[in-house]
Amino acid sequence: MASSTLRNVAYRGMASCVPKTVVSNLDDCPPAMRGERERLVRNIGIARRRICKPWQYFSTLAQDAAERLLEELAWKREEVDALIVVSQSPDYLIPATSIIIQDRMKLSTATLAFDVNLGCSGYPYALYVLGSMIASGAVKKGLVLVGDKCATLNDPLFSDAGTATALEHDPSAPPMHFDLNSDGSGWQAIMLPVGGHRRPIEMHHHIPSVDEHGGKSYPTDLILDGTAVLSFSTQRVPPALLHTLEYAGLTLDKIDYLLLHQANRMINETIRKKLRLEPDKVPSTLEDFGNTSGASIPVTMTARIREPLLSGRKRLALCGFGIGLSWATCIMETEGAVFPPLIEV
Amino acid sequence: MSGIESFIENFNTAVDFQDPVELKPDTALGDLPEWDSLAALAVIVMFDLEYGVTITGNDLKGCASLQDVHKLLGGKA
Repeated sequence: MASSTLRNVAYRGMASCVPKTVVSNLDDCPPAMRGERERLVRNIGIARRRICKPWQYFSTLAQDAAERLLEELAWKREEVDALIVVSQSPDYLIPATSIIIQDRMKLSTATLAFDVNLGCSGYPYALYVLGSMIASGAVKKGLVLVGDKCATLNDPLFSDAGTATALEHDPSAPPMHFDLNSDGSGWQAIMLPVGGHRRPIEMHHHIPSVDEHGGKSYPTDLILDGTAVLSFSTQRVPPALLHTLEYAGLTLDKIDYLLLHQANRMINETIRKKLRLEPDKVPSTLEDFGNTSGASIPVTMTARIREPLLSGRKRLALCGFGIGLSWATCIMETEGAVFPPLIEV
Repeated sequence: MSGIESFIENFNTAVDFQDPVELKPDTALGDLPEWDSLAALAVIVMFDLEYGVTITGNDLKGCASLQDVHKLLGGKA
């Protein structure tokens, strides 16, 4: 898509919710793997992750975030015209999780609700999809719930989180600039190979292979081609950001914070160094919250720059990138928005 | 320091060996205990940031020795 600008869309607030349960990448693995894990943690920068209890799901985390956000904003439930979910961890394959949440939250049946299947690039897309409807004035107030339940004990990268963001029609709002892209030739770089219609789950998919430390892996596990994702991310993101800035008539020094999707330290540090930005301008939650998929940008806003965001007008550049392959940039301003403290459940 | 010597030093830092290893141009990558996917990521980053050269995981898969990896620089070091 060519770059585009949305007007009349006010960013009213955002809440992030994570499970209380912490998994340590160093301590919660077989002692024989300690040296290997220390090297891994040094390089990917992820020491701890959050993981759902068996009764927690993306939908419950996101709903907790949404309830808190409505409370902070003092929005009435019947005022919510749209509820969009951007996630790859639906409660069921069908129906859409957003519609189930509409009922659970007792929102009006006049609420527009649907799901969007995007992961790590999802947050700028979420703002664009809901923002487009709000810009037109058709939707006055809307919520978009972004995140995933993607943590497992074995995989050292992923961590669970759900977030809620509130947008409202407001002719005095500053413009939001977007640049959204897709490259499906990389669809196999990050994928769940089994469980869809092309390869439904069968009995043999439940038979694990076991490594020398007793770790089990299943044919249903996520496939991630690390080198392909790293090359994609570090080659695509810096020019996409610079392009969007130019489109917006801005330069990097006019940005208060760059919020990158939290992929891993190697990817994020390479992008930061290529852009020649100081670390304090590019906040990170990798160490404590790992890769929370589409939630990683809002989680980082809540956990790392909540106070500055509450203190006055800030211009943010948001860059999501990953599964698809897909990458998306948003340049926006926040002022007077609500940012409740991190919710831990 | 000649081109390949400083390259080997950068390679050593990037791969982050748990125990010191002696690296020579003809060292076989398959003999290095840490020559894994993490090492490949680190070497791709090192090429990008230190030399401004873009390489892929497939480029590295085609390398048998450290000398082969150095050749991917295409004379840029």
